[in-house]
Amino acid sequence: MRLVVLVLTVGIFSGLLALFIGGFVIRVPESLTASPATVAQGSTPAQNAFIHLETVASVDTAITFPRPGDPNPSWVSYLPTTILKVPANSTVTVQIDQEDGASGLRNPFWAQAQGIVGGTFHMTYFDDQGNPQEGDFSSIPDPASAAHTFAIPDLGVFVPLEGISDAAPAGSMNVITFSFKTGKAGVYHWQCFVPCGAGTIYGNGGPMQTLGYMAGFLIVQ
Amino acid sequence: MIRPNRTHALRLLIAWAVLSVIGVVIGLQLSLPPGSQSQQSIDQSGLLKLMIILSTPVFVGVVLFILYSVFAFRQKRGALEDGPRSYGNLRLQVAWVAITAVVVLILAGIGISQLNAAANGTNFTSSSAPALATSGDVGTTEGHALQVQVIAQQWYFTYRYADYSGVESLHLMLPVNANVVFHITSTDVLHSFWAYQLGVKADANPGVDNVTYVTTLQTGSFTVRCAELCGIWHGAMSDTSGAVVSQADFATWITQLQKDNLSIPLPPYAPYYFPSPRVKGT
Repeated sequence: MRLVVLVLTVGIFSGLLALFIGGFVIRVPESLTASPATVAQGSTPAQNAFIHLETVASVDTAITFPRPGDPNPSWVSYLPTTILKVPANSTVTVQIDQEDGASGLRNPFWAQAQGIVGGTFHMTYFDDQGNPQEGDFSSIPDPASAAHTFAIPDLGVFVPLEGISDAAPAGSMNVITFSFKTGKAGVYHWQCFVPCGAGTIYGNGGPMQTLGYMAGFLIVQ
Repeated sequence: MIRPNRTHALRLLIAWAVLSVIGVVIGLQLSLPPGSQSQQSIDQSGLLKLMIILSTPVFVGVVLFILYSVFAFRQKRGALEDGPRSYGNLRLQVAWVAITAVVVLILAGIGISQLNAAANGTNFTSSSAPALATSGDVGTTEGHALQVQVIAQQWYFTYRYADYSGVESLHLMLPVNANVVFHITSTDVLHSFWAYQLGVKADANPGVDNVTYVTTLQTGSFTVRCAELCGIWHGAMSDTSGAVVSQADFATWITQLQKDNLSIPLPPYAPYYFPSPRVKGT
C-alpha cells in the first residue's frame, strides 16, 4: 500500500515537472494553433467615432470638462477621462481643446505628427501677438513649444499639441483635430510624451505616472 | 561472484548512462532562446546547449540515485532499527569535488570569454562571422560597422542612424549580414534595451553612451522590450516591428526615412542627451 502511494506520488511529481519544463520550452507548432485569416467583408459599413478631449494645466481650471472632486486638482491632465472606447476597423476623429502652456519635448522627434490620416492635423491657435490663426500642419515648428502629445505607440499614432501662446487671451484654447484608423480589437496604451508633471524630477512623476491624467487606454472593440 | 554493492552500482551506472543519453537527446531537440537571427544569439543558444549536455547527466544522476535508494534500501516491514554504519569514502569525495569543479570552471571560462566578446565586439571577427565584403553593403567590413543609437524614453524606444545624418526612426531596422554597433542611452530614467531574438540586452542610462554589438545573420522580425522597471507603463514599452531586412530593402527604407526626417527639427547627433530642467515648474 505504502509502495503504491510512493510510486503514485513520485509519478505525479515527475509528470508535473515534465509539464512545467516542457510548457516553458517547447512551443506548440503554429500549424496547430493557426486559424484561417479573416478578411474584412466589403459589405461592412465603415464605422466612425469621435473623441473630444481637453488638456489643462490643472484639473481645477477646466473649461470644457470640469472634474470637481478630483483628488489632485492642481495636476496637469487630459479630461474628461483617459479610458477611451472606439470601434475596431474604423476611423476615429479626435478633437483636443488644448489650454496648457508650452513644456517642451524631451525628444524633439515627437514634434512630427505620425500615423494620422493625411499626415496632417488641423489646428486653431494664437500667434505670438495673440491673434487667432488656423491651419493644417504635419509638425509643430518648435519642439520647445509643445505642451503635450497624444500618442498611441502600438498604433503608430503620435500627435504633438502646441502650447497656448503667452499672448493669447485668458481662457482661450488651441483646438487640434486629427483622425487615425483603428485595426483589430484590443487594448492599446496611450500617453503623453512631454514630461509635464510639474514639481517632479525631470517632470516624469505625478500625473505622468498615474492612470487618468497623462495616460490611459484606448479600448478598441 | 559479484558483491551486492557492485550489483547496485552496476545497475545505477547503466540506468544513468541510458537515461542521460536519452535526456541529452531530448534536451537538444528543444528550441532554445534566443534563436539564430544573429551571431550573438547563436552563441547564446550554443551556450545553453552546452549547459544541457553538461547538466542533464548531473540531474539524472542525482534524481536516479535518490529514487533508487528509496526503493532498493527501503526499510522492510518489521521493527524499526538502525541501518548499517556507513563510513566516508575518500576516493569518491575527491572525485566528486574534482568533477564538479572542472565542469563549473569550464562553463565559467566559456561564459566569461563570450561575455568579453559581446562587450568588446571581438566576436565581429570570429571565424563564423559573415565574410568581410568588399562591396558597398552596409556594415560588412569591420571598420565600417553600422552605428545605431538607441534612445530610451518613458515609454518608447526610438533609433537614430549616425551614418545617415542622425535620422530618427520609430522602429529598429537592420540590414542582414551586417556588423552593428549599438549606442544605447536614455533621456530620463534607467531603462534596458532588450532585442530578444538578436540576443542583445544592455542598460539604457541617462548621460551614458552604452555600447554593444550585434552581427545580423538572418532576415526576419524581432521584438524590442524594456528590461528595467521604469515606471507605470514599463510593461507597454515594447515594439514587435523591429526587423532584419535585406541590404537592398534597408537602402530603400533608410532613403525614405531621410526624406521623411527632413521636416523634423532634430537636435545634432550626440552620444547622449541631458534632460533639462531637472525639476519642472514648482
